[in-house]
Amino acid sequence: MKAVNKAVLKDAANRLLFDMSDEQYDMLLDEFHIIQSQLDLIGKIKGVDEATPMTFPFDCTVTFLREDNPSTPLKKEDVLKNAKNVQDGQIKLPKVV
Amino acid sequence: MSYLDLSIREIHEALLNKKVSILDLTKEAISRAKKDTNNAFECILEKEALEKATKLNDTIIPKDNYFYGIPYVAKDNFSTKDIETTGGSNILVGYMPLFDATVIKYLNEAGAILIGKTTLDELAMGGTGTSGHKGKTFNPYDPSHTHMIGGSSCGSAAAVADGIVPFALGSDTGDSVRKPASNSALVGMKPTWGLISRYGLFPFAPSLDHVAYFTRNVEDSALLLNLLSKHDDNDETNSFKTRDDYFKELNSNVKGKKIAVIKEIRESITDKEMNKKFNESLEFLKNEGAIVEEVSMNKDLLTSIFPTYFVISCAEATSNNANLDGIKFGPNYGGKTYQEVMYNVRTKGFSGLIKRRFVIGSYSLMSENQHDLFLRAQKARHLIVDAFNEVFKKYDCIYLLAAPNVAPKFDEASDRLNNEYLIADNYLAFGNFGGYPSMTIPLGFKNGLPYGANITSKPYDEKSVFNLALNLEKFTHLADVSFLNYKDKEEK
Repeated sequence: MKAVNKAVLKDAANRLLFDMSDEQYDMLLDEFHIIQSQLDLIGKIKGVDEATPMTFPFDCTVTFLREDNPSTPLKKEDVLKNAKNVQDGQIKLPKVV
Repeated sequence: MSYLDLSIREIHEALLNKKVSILDLTKEAISRAKKDTNNAFECILEKEALEKATKLNDTIIPKDNYFYGIPYVAKDNFSTKDIETTGGSNILVGYMPLFDATVIKYLNEAGAILIGKTTLDELAMGGTGTSGHKGKTFNPYDPSHTHMIGGSSCGSAAAVADGIVPFALGSDTGDSVRKPASNSALVGMKPTWGLISRYGLFPFAPSLDHVAYFTRNVEDSALLLNLLSKHDDNDETNSFKTRDDYFKELNSNVKGKKIAVIKEIRESITDKEMNKKFNESLEFLKNEGAIVEEVSMNKDLLTSIFPTYFVISCAEATSNNANLDGIKFGPNYGGKTYQEVMYNVRTKGFSGLIKRRFVIGSYSLMSENQHDLFLRAQKARHLIVDAFNEVFKKYDCIYLLAAPNVAPKFDEASDRLNNEYLIADNYLAFGNFGGYPSMTIPLGFKNGLPYGANITSKPYDEKSVFNLALNLEKFTHLADVSFLNYKDKEEK
């Protein structure tokens, strides 16, 4: 497992596209020895590594197909009325590319 | 005493008999909401609520619709059409959804009146009621504002406990309805995973997220589940099982019902006064004909519930909140690339606590750590659920105190490595791991502060939970309790 230090935590934050203050990194680093001790408890469970991962509480297979009924989508006015920036009947997003 | 202080069924009867009008009831709820001193509200929807109440006021009350004209509140992580929905986070300030969450739609269609959106821990990630962008939410039972109500559904709990509305919507990913219910003498119900549609509920950790709710008695809880649990094609995890009529099937007879008390969880709670009351409740159940037995479980599994929950929920939350990007949602602080735009808005928009949780999620998903942290937590979850499923093969319900103590103080630090923290304070998450129906009910008061007990059963066996809870109301005499009347109830 990757050793925990400030640079690793900063990398973990940056991967999610945000940053924290130095104070917050320090606080998290301080907390990490407790978190690590808590996480170590999971490893103590007998047979844990042989178990299969559980991703949902129980199976919930969806076996139906919706009927192909035409429906009225949102009206243009409804879509636009809450948008912050509207131009020529379209929502204007910040330029990012 | 106002009609607002009665149960939902009693209010409905009062409306039918024209003892009170929908408009007066709504005005009273709004008046109480405006006097709120617990920071329970993100917003009070006075105009919208009065408009609807006026519209319904002169209509004929449908006899079989218990929610017609009943005021309620919803946690601010349920999408509400044209009503700002922030999730308690600055990153969503100004967000106006284009649609109602399915549960809001069902309540609207039934004629219930939404009078406000309530505070929560930011994006429902927290258990203290302190991390939302509106600051701390307080416990109505503690006017000194020293003790918390808990979270994340803090505002909804405070509004019902303070007698503002008879019921409220919340969400429960670890214990976010059932723990505040314990701290504020409420019935907090989290039904089976998939029974209530989550369409329109902001996702936190979808493998654990549940729509849940607060009422002031068990009967109201069953009535509300009847309304909310209808199948919804918009939620692909919503169950296709035929729903029971939870209200009609209410029956307080527990004769022959097998109740398990998990020994290690019981032993992790050391408060003498609370244990005494809990033991008395066990004796009461035995006298009612229930078979109560202590069952032992592997302690390593129980101490792992919290870290398992922590890893899975933080990891799932990182991906579920990736859409909060400052482009589609949230304020925009500029940037030359989409990465810069996201970086700026997420750095400014999320609070410190939630960012630290995201970092833990990100750390556990790093390729070097994924096996030892995220995958191992998912494996541990499987073993924990298997162990509880074994208990449910022999018993109808698990019954325990819901928490190790009354509501903690805001500045109270706990040893996060002892059994009281790891087991007693956090064991309720097993209900989310296995998707079990799980309800907290008020059990008693200690120095004026409430504490509750929890009942959990196997998936889709809400009936056993309701019936045991209904029976226990005969022991506690705390049905319909709120801050406004608890002293009278306590004396009984």
